[in-house]
Amino acid sequence: MKEKHFQILGIAVVAVGLTFIAFLYWSQPRTLAEVATKGSVAIGTYEVNKTEFDAGLAAFRQDQFVAARSAFERADPEKRDAATQFYTAYSYYRQGWGRVSNDDALFKSGLETMGRIDPNFRSVDANLQMKTAAELKFELEEGLKLTASDFNPLKLTKERK
Amino acid sequence: MDEALEKPEIVTDIALVEPRVGPSASVIYLVLPAILLAVTLLGGLRLGVADNAFIFLKPALTCLVFAAVTMVLFVRSGMVAVDGWLASENSGLRNAANAAVLLTLFTALVQLYNSLLPEQGLPFWIVGFCFFWTLWNNLFAEFDPKRLLRSMAALFAMAFAVRWLFLANLTPETSGSWIERILQNPTQEAFTWLLDIPRYSAGTGYIQFFTLALFLLGLYLLPRSASRD
Repeated sequence: MKEKHFQILGIAVVAVGLTFIAFLYWSQPRTLAEVATKGSVAIGTYEVNKTEFDAGLAAFRQDQFVAARSAFERADPEKRDAATQFYTAYSYYRQGWGRVSNDDALFKSGLETMGRIDPNFRSVDANLQMKTAAELKFELEEGLKLTASDFNPLKLTKERK
Repeated sequence: MDEALEKPEIVTDIALVEPRVGPSASVIYLVLPAILLAVTLLGGLRLGVADNAFIFLKPALTCLVFAAVTMVLFVRSGMVAVDGWLASENSGLRNAANAAVLLTLFTALVQLYNSLLPEQGLPFWIVGFCFFWTLWNNLFAEFDPKRLLRSMAALFAMAFAVRWLFLANLTPETSGSWIERILQNPTQEAFTWLLDIPRYSAGTGYIQFFTLALFLLGLYLLPRSASRD
């Protein structure tokens, strides 16, 4: 190999190396697996794990919300997919919903998850009563408020959405 | 006359006149940047105490200042001859390749200081002041490359001992509740609180030792000039 070739190779190694190091320090992966995931996000090839998502959806429909969230977490470790995050937030709502009072901690987690979803998101799942991010967010926010209407005995007849 | 002809020293003299050949192009443009990039990568790497998760610590501004001063020291002592790396008579490619090597030297230095400086609190200021004092004094001292290399090796080794042997051993590596940690290691817990030292897994010290060793190897391999003659 000629010296010129080493020089070209050297410049390429330094450019790629410094870019990779800058990416690591910017994205802060915690494990080697996260390095791969964050790398796929950076180059635009990130995809949700379909098998885990389906497992999560099945658990969600059987009211096994903790298992559902766990599967959704594995399906979308970067928390970037709107549909997965919508189901995660919905699972917080359904688990935290109560006829007399709601679980504030779960509703707060639901709202936190809603912060990662595009406000214009609309679900195509016919089994869900609330199909838009706005509806779910409103329900979670209302669930956290304590108003005079909360003491209305007719509220005991309300149904979970 | 005959005695003079038999003297073998003449051969030795000829050997000394031969031009000295520096490191090969592969060492300058591939091995050296690879070593210095490894230092850049590992210098800010810490392992979390609970789960050994990666923590990539970005360097403080002080690290950049110290690295810049150290680069000036390298140039002043003749360890790095700027005109041997970057010159108008060189081709653009050669200058770019040499600049890339010098850039990795700078980033490696930044990350080495990131490795050796405590992250925060009183230890950061004390060790930082010691670095500043030493570098400032060295700036006005007369150095040759060998002496500077020895001096830098000694400085970094001492800083490593303070950071990763002394200060790291003042913090307990156990995780758990505050009460549990106080009951298990009251003295270490008190030092951790007083000195504001972050907790890392034991593996971090080993990684930083490897980083320092790699950097010193890189300095040893670094030629004064990229020109081979």
